[in-house]
Amino acid sequence: MATRAQPGPLSQAGSAGVAALATVGVASGPGPGRPGPLQDETLGVASVPSQWRAVQGIRWETKSCQTASIATASASAQARNHVDAQVQTEAPVPVSVQPPSQYDIPRLAAFLRRVEAMVIRELNKNWQSHAFDGFEVNWTEQQQMVSCLYTLGYPPAQAQGLHVTSISWNSTGSVVACAYGRLDHGDWSTLKSFVCAWNLDRRDLRPQQPSAVVEVPSAVLCLAFHPTQPSHVAGLYSGEVLVWDLSRLEDPLLWRTGLTDDTHTDPVSQVVWLPEPGHSHRFQVLSVATDGKVLLWQGIGVGQLQLTEGFALVMQQLPRSTKLKKHPRGETEVGATAVAFSSFDPRLFILGTEGGFPLKCSLAAGEAALTRMPSSVPLRAPAQFTFSPHGGPIYSVSCSPFHRNLFLSAGTDGHVHLYSMLQAPPLTSLQLSLKYLFAVRWSPVRPLVFAAASGKGDVQLFDLQKSSQKPTVLIKQTQDESPVYCLEFNSQQTQLLAAGDAQGTVKVWQLSTEFTEQGPREAEDLDCLAAEVAA
Amino acid sequence: MNEWTNTGREPDPLPSSLPGPTAPGLGEPQAEVEETLKRIQSHKGVIGTMVVNAEGIPIRTTLDNSTTVQYAGLLHHLTMKAKSTVRDIDPQNDLTFLRIRSKKHEIMVAPDKEYLLIVIQNPCE
Repeated sequence: MATRAQPGPLSQAGSAGVAALATVGVASGPGPGRPGPLQDETLGVASVPSQWRAVQGIRWETKSCQTASIATASASAQARNHVDAQVQTEAPVPVSVQPPSQYDIPRLAAFLRRVEAMVIRELNKNWQSHAFDGFEVNWTEQQQMVSCLYTLGYPPAQAQGLHVTSISWNSTGSVVACAYGRLDHGDWSTLKSFVCAWNLDRRDLRPQQPSAVVEVPSAVLCLAFHPTQPSHVAGLYSGEVLVWDLSRLEDPLLWRTGLTDDTHTDPVSQVVWLPEPGHSHRFQVLSVATDGKVLLWQGIGVGQLQLTEGFALVMQQLPRSTKLKKHPRGETEVGATAVAFSSFDPRLFILGTEGGFPLKCSLAAGEAALTRMPSSVPLRAPAQFTFSPHGGPIYSVSCSPFHRNLFLSAGTDGHVHLYSMLQAPPLTSLQLSLKYLFAVRWSPVRPLVFAAASGKGDVQLFDLQKSSQKPTVLIKQTQDESPVYCLEFNSQQTQLLAAGDAQGTVKVWQLSTEFTEQGPREAEDLDCLAAEVAA
Repeated sequence: MNEWTNTGREPDPLPSSLPGPTAPGLGEPQAEVEETLKRIQSHKGVIGTMVVNAEGIPIRTTLDNSTTVQYAGLLHHLTMKAKSTVRDIDPQNDLTFLRIRSKKHEIMVAPDKEYLLIVIQNPCE
């Protein structure tokens, strides 16, 4: 390339060189001492010096570069101290009242002397005062209407046409569980059914997807949550009693009775958790069935529920407080369809029967039952008093949490009877519906309010303070008048009421404030009601 | 019969462990305490009566233990708070009586240096 750039000098040099070469070649023509033609000869070397290289010397310098040195440092960190701490709540220790020491009594007497006159004066003034008549304070936001908060259902159960037969709230009031089964045809045993639970406090609550589902090989008729453990459920189906722990996902079954001679031979209608008489933190399961047996089970060992006490209802042994229509011969069992325990006396309970008459029974009854049913534990007759019957079988009883003698019963004749335990005929009888009534429950906060579920698809809320003839609020649960089978108040969140119907849905209703806040003197009004009608 | 001279001061309490009369003229303090409490308790509408000492420990009560302990602890705190409120507003002032009216009943507290008398009444409406 350089040759092209400077053609001038090179061509001169080249031609000079070539001329020299040519001269040498010509000079070696024929002559003396010179080899002749066609003879080998060595010629000198011709060189062509480079021009451009001499003109332009190559210049070079050395340079170097290097990145600056990287600063590194090492440090180590490790958590070394940790402290273990444990927190546990203990059962409250009962504190006792301290009697005053000997030295204090005169000073106590002096103090009382000083304040007595003032206190008596204030008591008198208060008794006669009208200062606060009609004065009411509202601390919470008032809810005027009853609204449906959630509509829960389990699609596979609804696809099979199963009804919701029973509902229960757990001890913390955040989980509602429902049992699926069928109440209208008698084929219990081949129907696969479910127990579903929804946790209403979770943010990702999906109404069609329960947080826990247990598959049960037969229809479940009844359900009850454990009173203190938030996740144990006792359900009944075709005579067997099962206890599940819903917090275990793989195998929730804790205990079962198995099919022995002891288990019920008929479908079990209701199950209740009872505290054990000696240890109040352990619980037993009481089951009531239409074969006339009331059985008390205890969970022992692994997986087995054992019978600890049993009662049997036999027609002959019922106390003759009222004149019952039929006097059959033989030892006929009386089927029990509902049970409710009194909140004031833990051994007293009311049984609702298929014959329509409630029975007052006691766990402490000692008389042996005249029955030929086989049992590992001697069966006793629990009935102490018989009340006047309804026009049909009783489906639900409920004892008042505010008055020790009052209870409600509802049956297929569409009437709700308010009974006092002291007399056989009911105090009042209300006709709520022309169809069956499936459930009745006292409100846990207002002494004069109760709710009833009817076969016409509605839930009726009665406030005896306002009107004793017609319901205060009528909630329509189902559009096509399919019956509502069960309902339960939530005793922790007292504005919630759950009801389950024949379409397989559970609706959680939020009640208005008038149903959740006790007015003044309601308990006294309840006492008056009990006393005035009885007189 | 005991003879007693009018020394002009109250007699000293007996060192024995059994409650006994300190002076016949004044009557037994024990019986006086009981009578006073019974008079208050039998007043119209009174549900319960209790006496609590300066530390909030109940000394005498007509209600059951758990309720008594609850009332005593809570009302002791509230009375101290009320007393300090009154004193903060006006240091010359002091709390003489505390009444709490609720939907169901009225709670009256008569405070003192050493004791509190708490009476729960169901007023007529």
